[in-house]
Parts: sequence; structure tokens; C-alpha cells
Amino acid sequence: MSYATKLELPWVEKYRPHLLKDIVGNEDTVQRLQTIAADGNMPHMIISGLPGIGKTTSIHCLAHELLGDAYSQAVLELNASDDRGIEVVRNQIKHFAQKKCTLPAGKHKIIILDEADSMTSGAQQALRRTMELYSNTTRFAFACNQSNKIIEPLQSRCAILRYSKLTDEQVLKRLLEIIKLEDVQYTNDGLEAIIFTAEGDMRQAINNLQSTVAGFGLVNGENVFQIVDSPHPLIVKRMLLSGSLDESLQYLKELWVKGYSAVDIVITCFRVMKNLDEVKETVRLEMIKEIGFTHMRILEGVGTHLQLSGMLAKIQKLKS
Amino acid sequence: MGDITDKLRAAKNKRAGHGTNHASPKKPKKVKSQAAETIDLDLDDDELELLASQPRRSRSNTTAADEKEQSPAKKPRISEPSSNGLTKPDVSRVKKSDSPQTVKELLDSIPSVDLDNVTTKEATQFSWKGAGGDGSGASSELEIPEGQANCLLGLTIVFTGTLPNLDRSTSENLAKRYGARVTKSISKNTSVVVLGEEAGPKKLENIKKLGIKAIDEEGFKRLIAGMPAGGGDNQQADKARRKLQEQQEQAMKEAEQMAKEQEEREKKDKLSVGKDVNLSSKSTVTEDSKLWTTKYAPTDLRQLCGNKGAIQKLKTWLESWSSGKKPSMRAVMLSGPPGIGKTTAAHLVAKSLGYDVLEKNASDVRSKGLLNASVKFALDHKSVIGMFKSISDDHYSKNGKRFVIIMDEVDGMSGGDRGGVGQLAQYCRKTNTPMILICNERNLPKMRPFDHSVLDIPFRRPDAQAVKARLMTIAMREKFKLDPNVIDRLVSVTRGDMRQIINLLSTVTTTSKSIGSDNIKSLSDNWEKNVALKIFDITPKLLSGGIYTENGAKQFPLYKKMELYFDDFDFTPLMIQENYTSTTPTLLRKGQTHLNAVAAAAESISEGDLVDKKIRSAEQQWSLLPLHAVLSTVRPASMVAGNVTRRINFSAFLGQNSKTGKFYRLLQDIQYHTRLSTSTNKMGLRLQYMPTMKRHLLDPLLRDGSAAIENVINFMDDYYLSKDHWDSIMQFYVGTDDTTAALKSIPSSTKSAFTRAYNNVSHPTPIMKLGVSTGRATAAARPDFEDVVDNDDEVPVEEENPKDEDEIDFKKDKFIKQVGKKKTKSKTKKVSSKK
Ligand SMILES: Nc1ncnc2c1ncn2[C@@H]1O[C@H](COP(=O)(O)OP(=O)(O)O)[C@@H](O)[C@H]1O
Ligand SMILES: Nc1ncnc2c1ncn2[C@@H]1O[C@H](COP(=O)(O)OP(=O)(O)O)[C@@H](O)[C@H]1O
Ligand SMILES: [Mg+2]
Ligand SMILES: [Mg+2]
Repeated sequence: MSYATKLELPWVEKYRPHLLKDIVGNEDTVQRLQTIAADGNMPHMIISGLPGIGKTTSIHCLAHELLGDAYSQAVLELNASDDRGIEVVRNQIKHFAQKKCTLPAGKHKIIILDEADSMTSGAQQALRRTMELYSNTTRFAFACNQSNKIIEPLQSRCAILRYSKLTDEQVLKRLLEIIKLEDVQYTNDGLEAIIFTAEGDMRQAINNLQSTVAGFGLVNGENVFQIVDSPHPLIVKRMLLSGSLDESLQYLKELWVKGYSAVDIVITCFRVMKNLDEVKETVRLEMIKEIGFTHMRILEGVGTHLQLSGMLAKIQKLKS
Repeated sequence: MGDITDKLRAAKNKRAGHGTNHASPKKPKKVKSQAAETIDLDLDDDELELLASQPRRSRSNTTAADEKEQSPAKKPRISEPSSNGLTKPDVSRVKKSDSPQTVKELLDSIPSVDLDNVTTKEATQFSWKGAGGDGSGASSELEIPEGQANCLLGLTIVFTGTLPNLDRSTSENLAKRYGARVTKSISKNTSVVVLGEEAGPKKLENIKKLGIKAIDEEGFKRLIAGMPAGGGDNQQADKARRKLQEQQEQAMKEAEQMAKEQEEREKKDKLSVGKDVNLSSKSTVTEDSKLWTTKYAPTDLRQLCGNKGAIQKLKTWLESWSSGKKPSMRAVMLSGPPGIGKTTAAHLVAKSLGYDVLEKNASDVRSKGLLNASVKFALDHKSVIGMFKSISDDHYSKNGKRFVIIMDEVDGMSGGDRGGVGQLAQYCRKTNTPMILICNERNLPKMRPFDHSVLDIPFRRPDAQAVKARLMTIAMREKFKLDPNVIDRLVSVTRGDMRQIINLLSTVTTTSKSIGSDNIKSLSDNWEKNVALKIFDITPKLLSGGIYTENGAKQFPLYKKMELYFDDFDFTPLMIQENYTSTTPTLLRKGQTHLNAVAAAAESISEGDLVDKKIRSAEQQWSLLPLHAVLSTVRPASMVAGNVTRRINFSAFLGQNSKTGKFYRLLQDIQYHTRLSTSTNKMGLRLQYMPTMKRHLLDPLLRDGSAAIENVINFMDDYYLSKDHWDSIMQFYVGTDDTTAALKSIPSSTKSAFTRAYNNVSHPTPIMKLGVSTGRATAAARPDFEDVVDNDDEVPVEEENPKDEDEIDFKKDKFIKQVGKKKTKSKTKKVSSKK
């Protein structure tokens, strides 16, 4: 309980970097942003990459470093929770772009459009000429998960910076910093589990860390997997690959008694199977079909052990 | 905690020995697998190995960056930047050490294709017979060869037939990239022919006649791999090299020239700013804090790269206005991908002829009403700015009071701009002011209203040669080093998007001041344009056999195939369904026939439909979407994949579906009217009554002509059918009953007599008659959901029958009213029976 009282702020926010230099990973791109922060004249840009790898953070850091105290008046930020329909683009955004604002030479107003891939294409279309006509005073920064959801004419106007997934070392580095500051008790296998399940998503790693601490105090492997609440992919993989049906069923039982729901198991099966390069693709497609149909039946309400056993049997049959 | 780091590192070192499929040496990307190893779940070592080699898990599916890792290792390119940054193709250097020495020798070392054994077009047909012995299909390397720079210089290559792996445009681009000339027809200048299956028989004959070396795809790859940089040492190569050198020098000169001009102009600008204090407020933005694309925006038509012909056409068109006459087309439509200078060209042409510009773009509301308000006034008015300009300039005295309307980003008109496109198309026809429209996708259905109202001027992506001078100018002015040999690479990653290239350069040069062959690889990987593929690109890709072979599956794994589905998950399944019979499968299992494969695919598609129902019906099980991706798209495609033999068609489902809907509505209306004399439901009416009705409604007219009119009308009155119903009933018949021909055979005199006769007498109505032909005017305003309409943008069929839509609304309205009316009517029992 003593931990709960300490959790006034989510750690992801508490430890959100404020300076570009504190952002881990993607060194080349961050380096480039730092140069831009120092020199000014920020181009329009799109930062794209998976969730939780520091896109939003980077844009904020950059805007702060560029504008300093003027941030509040010279930055317009809209994210997915704001209305960003075509009307807003034609009114609010255009007006902000037209607004006069005295800034030092080389600095511009910045319009941040976070999660831009959720904007409708109509709204994106309406941005096109605005980005050009007011580029002398206003620059745009987009963050998105998939840059292909940004229409080509906008991509054409932007510098496209791609963030790659954070490596495990990078996630670990940051986690250890936080652990030190929060004085967390942990074991190595606990950290490994967090890193493994986060799959390069820093936000998820930090959230899982905090949840584990809040729930159990101690961060060890067992506690982490309880928090993460999905069957361990490695076990699922062994279940799908094992040579005999008996063995598969043994693994299934292991998961079943741990209390994972049929839906969780079948979804993990689907995900694991999709990338299971050990199985030839044509066979994999057949197996996916079986898993998928089981998924459908489970959704219809028959989330029984029998359904899953049947699925494994069919998969086993496909192997021969 | 040091432990963990050590462990991770150790794991990494261990991995290094094995190397996953796509371990790129620099980026430690495959960390996932390290983690798999470090997690201690007491698996034995072998198993770990197995697990570790599994690259990544579901989440990484969306990584765009990941895609880049697949390209095969590149041989280092040879290029020697000379002092001014240009590579002079050094003629003397071409003596190379490795055998074979000459083009001829190399060509000789590549086996010729046996011309008598090539399948020609006639020989192959849609065959249902089983595939021959080797189940795996044709040789399946998807890998694109990497050769030395300009190694095919001086060769003239003709491609004919379908190559097993490289499609035509890829192979041609490949050849061009290495400096070869690619021509379509075979002549004596042709150095080599790359022959695929189903080559034209005429071409084969030519090849034989002229005795030209013919090689296959494998040979072509070997050619690329084997040729030395700068091409062979024969005469043509020499000539081509010299020409290239000249071109480069020319480009360099142009660059210098441009740079000088620009500097002078800036100086002049500065001077004039100094003099004219009023203007200075405008120029407070210094050049340095402008975007490069603005800073280097062409100020003169000559500075625009490429599209010279199109620009000239535009200019000629605009000039034809100035003589006081109006050209036959009063508006032009510039179309082409973004960033190739369309907007710039429009403005510059207008400026060069002394026109003022009124610009509207996607950031302005352009609905019908607002267009009326804001543009219409301009259509015949004169420019105010022009009136105040001094008349000293020659141009202005002629055109000064004229201006041109530029409607930019016309395809950006969307939901909010209701009626805008149609209105704009109308303006185009009657405007008294020249109008320049600009759009990206001319072929979108929503652009169809412009089809006959504008002069189309398509803009194309400029090629490397065209942009070279411009980019070198920028490099020179910005003082960074740009190796001219990498420009074509820049052009190809950005797909010819000049603006993107300039943006790219401006960003990259913040940290590195030189761009050359050493860093172009990583640059292009990072900047590769990542646009959602369009369905017409997705479909052939999914149906091509290459990605399903063992090797293909490695290069383009399952999750990527599924991503293609997710690029447009509404349409991709429909497109597969439409086109899955248009292939010749290359991956048939032993003994399996084409028909078997098609049947299996059809089965899978129908299973996909079951899933689709779960997703889209009330159940809304969106978590089944990945399953739908597999069943409706990837799996059927994998079964029939091979060579696409027919044109990819747009899904007919939507059209048919809306047709069905329309007929249902018509049927409902007819059933409603006939209800007093029939006792059946809609289906019964269609199945039982209609076939018989035809005998009374149409056959008499065919047989007796005008004499039958009265009988027919009596029959119609018996069933309370109007003339409109008569027309719609005629559309219902299908197959042998189809009435199209019969209707045509009725003389128009009979037809008009029929109409007249019908209109002359009053007819019994079961309900109060409502206006029929006012459909358009009374069509209810539809709610203005931007998203909804945006989606419609991609539904061509919707627009195919713009009338239909109105009809729907109208009919709906009518029904609501009719039902209401009917109640009151039936109370008054005014149902007349005129028998
Ligand atoms: N590269 C990073 N370095 C440090 N912290 C990070 C990094 N990436 C993400 N985080 C943490 O994750 C949280 C979410 O990051 P955010 O930038 O919002 O991710 P997204 O890429 O989804 O926009 C941040 O508050 C921060 O605590
Ligand atoms: N053909 C070209 N030659 C030189 N610069 C170009 C060319 N095309 C585009 N640019 C650069 O890109 C910018 C935008 O071009 P623009 O005409 O607006 O493209 P579009 O309207 O085709 O999208 C220009 O300001 C210029 O800097
Ligand atoms: Mg974010
Ligand atoms: Mg434009």
C-alpha cells in the first residue's frame, strides 16, 4: 500500500523528457532535431513510428527548445481528441497561421498535429496550400504511426523523419534511470519480462513497470506476466509447434489452469502463427484459417477448452 | 543491473554468429530475438535457437522502417567525384581487369534463348490443364540485381514478352537506371533483346531476321552484374559516355548560370527594398529563415524542370485569350502527382503573360453556394490590381485588366464542398476569365464532371536529367556537396517529387554537408515515400506469384501481405474477388489444375464472407479483421497467384449492388401501385406477374404498332401503372426476355403516340398523384458528414449514376408522403374503378 500513495502521477508523464538530449534512441534523427533547434528554420516535418517511442515527446521538446517562453502563444497543438475536421483546418488552423506573432529571426510559429493519421483526408487536403502560403511564418509538425496514412501531397511538403523501434538496451537504460529515481525493488528476470513484453514500446514498458510496482511492490518475472495478462508467446509458440498432440494439449492445459481466457489464448495463437516462419506459408495460411474459425466460435460464446483442443488437433493434422 | 546489460550484450554477440534473415549490420534491429534468449524459461538451447530466429512478433507489423531491410547486399558503387563534384566518366579508365573483356564477350558468355522454343502469344490460352511436373513454379528469385553505375551505357535494349519475375516497368527502369536505351521495337540498332514468355511472334521473326542476340531474364541479370562501370569499351558506349559527359557539363553550366541570376536578382531585390520603405514590411522574412522550397521556388519558367511541353501548351492556351477571342476550351486542368511544379507553372505562366491571379485552394471552402458568391463575380470582371498598374509595361496595356483564376487542389474538394465540383465544371464552360484548375488525380470519378469542360494538360514526374541542373544550383548556393550520380536515386525514392527532394536536402544537410554514394543508401531507405498503395497497385501485387514462393515469402512475409489488405480493407477483398480468375497460376501443386485452384480460392472467398458478416453486421467483431484479411484476400490470392493475364478490373460488386438496390425500389413502387389488383408480394410480382405482363405491355406494341396502344393503356390502368412504371418494368427483363432490342425496334412514332395517348386521358390512381419529374429539385439535402462523403470519394460507382442518388432520396420522400396520403385517401374511398 505504501507504494500506492506515491503514485500521484503516471510515470510516463513524470519521466517524459523535456530536452531533446534526454530522448533515448534514434540518435541520428534526434541529432538532426537538435541542430534544427539550435539553428532555427524548422522545416515542416512528419515524425512517424510505432507508438510509445518518443514522437510526441520529441516534437514538444523541439518546440520548447525553439521557442522558449514564446511557446504558449506561438504553438497550436491539436491531437486526436480535438476536433480536426475540415472546418477546423479551414478556420482555426488557418487563422492561427495568419496570426501575427513577433518571434526572433529564424523562429516560426508551430502547429503540432499529433496522431495525424487519424485526420480525414478531406482535412488533410485542406492543409496543403495553407502549409505553403504561410510557410514564412508558420511550420507544421505531424506525428503519426503510419506515414502512409498521410496523403502524398502533405508528405511532399514535409521532411519525413522515421523513428525506429527502440532497442531493448535503450528501453532498459531508461527503465534503470526511473528505477533509480523511484527506488524500485526488482529482479533481473522481472526487467527482462517487462522489456520482452513491451516490444520496444517505451510507454508500455514504463506503464508495466509502474503497474507491477503498484500491484506487487517487487518487480519479478512472475509478477510482470500477471500484470501483462496475456499468455506468454513463447509457450504459445511451443504449443503450436510441438510434434505431438499430447504435448500441445499439455501446454494448453498449462495456460488454461493459469486462468487465461479462451479469447486471449486464441488471439495470441493467431499473432504467433502469423509470424511463425518455421511453418511454410501455404500451411500457415491453413492453420490460420483453423485458428480464426475457432476464434469465431469462441466469440459466438463457446469459449471452451474443447474448442481450443479441437483447434490444436486440426493444426496437428495439417502438419502431416 | 549490470548483469542484464551484460547478458543482453552476450546474447547479442552470440546472435552475431548466426545472423537472422534481415540483420542489417549497423542497426541492431533484431533485438527481439535477443530478448527471447535472455528470458529464462528453461528451454534447451536448440529450441532457443529456433525461437530466436523468429524475427518479430505481431506488433512490429506496422513498422515502415523495417521494410527497408530486405534489399540484398549492395556492391559498392564506383564513382570518383572530381573537384567540382561532378564525375567525369573517364574514358581511359574503362580498361578493366576482370573477364569478360568486352560487351560482346560478355554477351556471348550469356546463353541465347532458343527462339524456336519460345511460347508466343497465340500459343497460350486460358488453359485449365494441370501444371507440369515441378510443383514449385518458375525460378523464383525476386532479387533485383545490382550493377555498377552506368554499366549498360551505349546498349539499346528491347524487352518483349513477360519475364518470370521482373515486370515490364521494373525491368525497363532497371535498364534505364544503368544507362541503357530502352526501345519498343526491334531494329538493327538493337544491341540485345530480353525475351520473356508470350513474346509477340512478329518480334521473334524480326529477331531472327536481324540476328540479334536474345537473352532471358537470367541473362539480363548477368549482364547487369557483369558489365563494368561506365559501360563497355565499344563505340556506342564511347559515344554515350561522351554524350553523358556533355550533358553533365551542360547541367553544370546551367547551374552556375542559374546561381548567378538568382544572386543578381536578390541583390536587386535588396536594393529595391532599401528604396521602397513600404515594401519592406513584406520582406522582413529573411531568405535564411524561409523554407528551401520557397527560397528556391522557380521565379522564371526556365527554372522549372521538366514538363516543358505541358508548360508550353499552357502558355499557348493562355495566349489565345489575350487576342480578345476565347479559345474553345475556356479552362485547363493541370494534373499530376504532387511536387512537380504544377502550381508554380500556373502562377508563372500567368505572370509571364501579365495576368493577375485569383487563387482558390483546398483550404478555402468551395461549396456550390460559396463558389457562386466568391468566384462567379470574378468570372467576367476585371482585375482591380491591373487597373492601377502603370500602363508603361507593354503586356499590361493589352492584358492588364485581365486576370486568371487558379483553382488549386480541385481534388481536395470534399464533403464540405457539396456541389462544388459540378458547379465548378459548369463555370469552366461559360467563364469569361481564363481558369486554370489543378489536381493530382485526374482519373478519380469525382473529377468526371470536368471531362468535357476542360483542356487536359497532364504533368509528368521530371526525370533525373531534368532536375539535375536545378539541384546542383541549390547545392552550390547552399554550399553542400551533391554527387550528381546520386540524383537519380533521389528522384526514384521520392518518385520524382521535386519538392520532396528539396525538403530532403534541406533536412539532411543540417547534419551532413555532403551527399554522395556513401550515404545515399541510408538516406534513400529513410526517405522512401510511403504512400498507401492504391487498390490497382495492391491487387496485381497480391496476385503475382513471386511473393508466394519460398523465397518470395521470405522477402515479403505474410504480415506484409496482410498489410496490403489493411491499406484498403474495404476494397481489397472485393478486388481480389473480381480478379482472381485473371491469372495463370504458377504455383500449382502437382496434379492440381487451374480450375481446382480457382475453386479453392472461391471457397476461401466465401468463407471470408462469413467472417465479414460477423464483422460488419450487428455483431461488430472487429477483432476478426485479421482473419478476414487472410480468408478473403491473402489465402485466395495465394492459391491462384501467378501471372496476371488480364487487365485488373474494378470491382463490379458495388455497381451491381447499387443496381440491385435500385431495382428493389422500383419493384416496391410497382408492387405498391398494383396492390389493388394483385395479391402477391414483391417477389411474387416479379416472378409470376411480370413475365405475363410483358405479353400485354410490350408484345402488342411490337405486333400491332399504334393500333395496340389503347389496349396496352387499358391494361396499365387495370393495374394502376403509369407510363413511368411501364418504362421501369421494361428494365426488369433479363436473359432471353431482355427488352433492349425490342424497345429499339418500336418506331419512334409509335412510342410518341403511346406517350401522347397516355397523357391525354386521365388514369385511375390508387393514391394521390405526386409530381414525378421533379426528383432533382426536391431531392432532400443529405446530411453533411464529411467522413461519409470522403469515403464515397473512393466509390466510383456511386457517381456513375448521379441520377440514382437523387432518385433514392426522391423515392424515399415520395414514399413517406405517399403512405401518409394514402391513409387519408383510403378513408375517403376515392379509389376509382374505371371498368
Ligand atoms: N525515446 C524515448 N526516450 C525517453 N522516454 C520515452 C521515449 N519514448 C517514449 N518515452 C516515454 O514514453 C512516453 C510516451 O512517449 P510519446 O512521445 O508520447 O510516444 P509516441 O511516440 O507514441 O508519441 C513519454 O512520456 C516518455 O515517458
Ligand atoms: N519542376 C520543378 N522545377 C523546380 N522546382 C520545382 C519543380 N517542381 C517543384 N519544385 C519545387 O517545389 C515547390 C512546390 O512546387 P509546386 O508547383 O507547388 O508543386 P505542385 O503544385 O505540383 O504540387 C516549388 O516551390 C519548387 O521549389
Ligand atoms: Mg504520441
Ligand atoms: Mg500545388
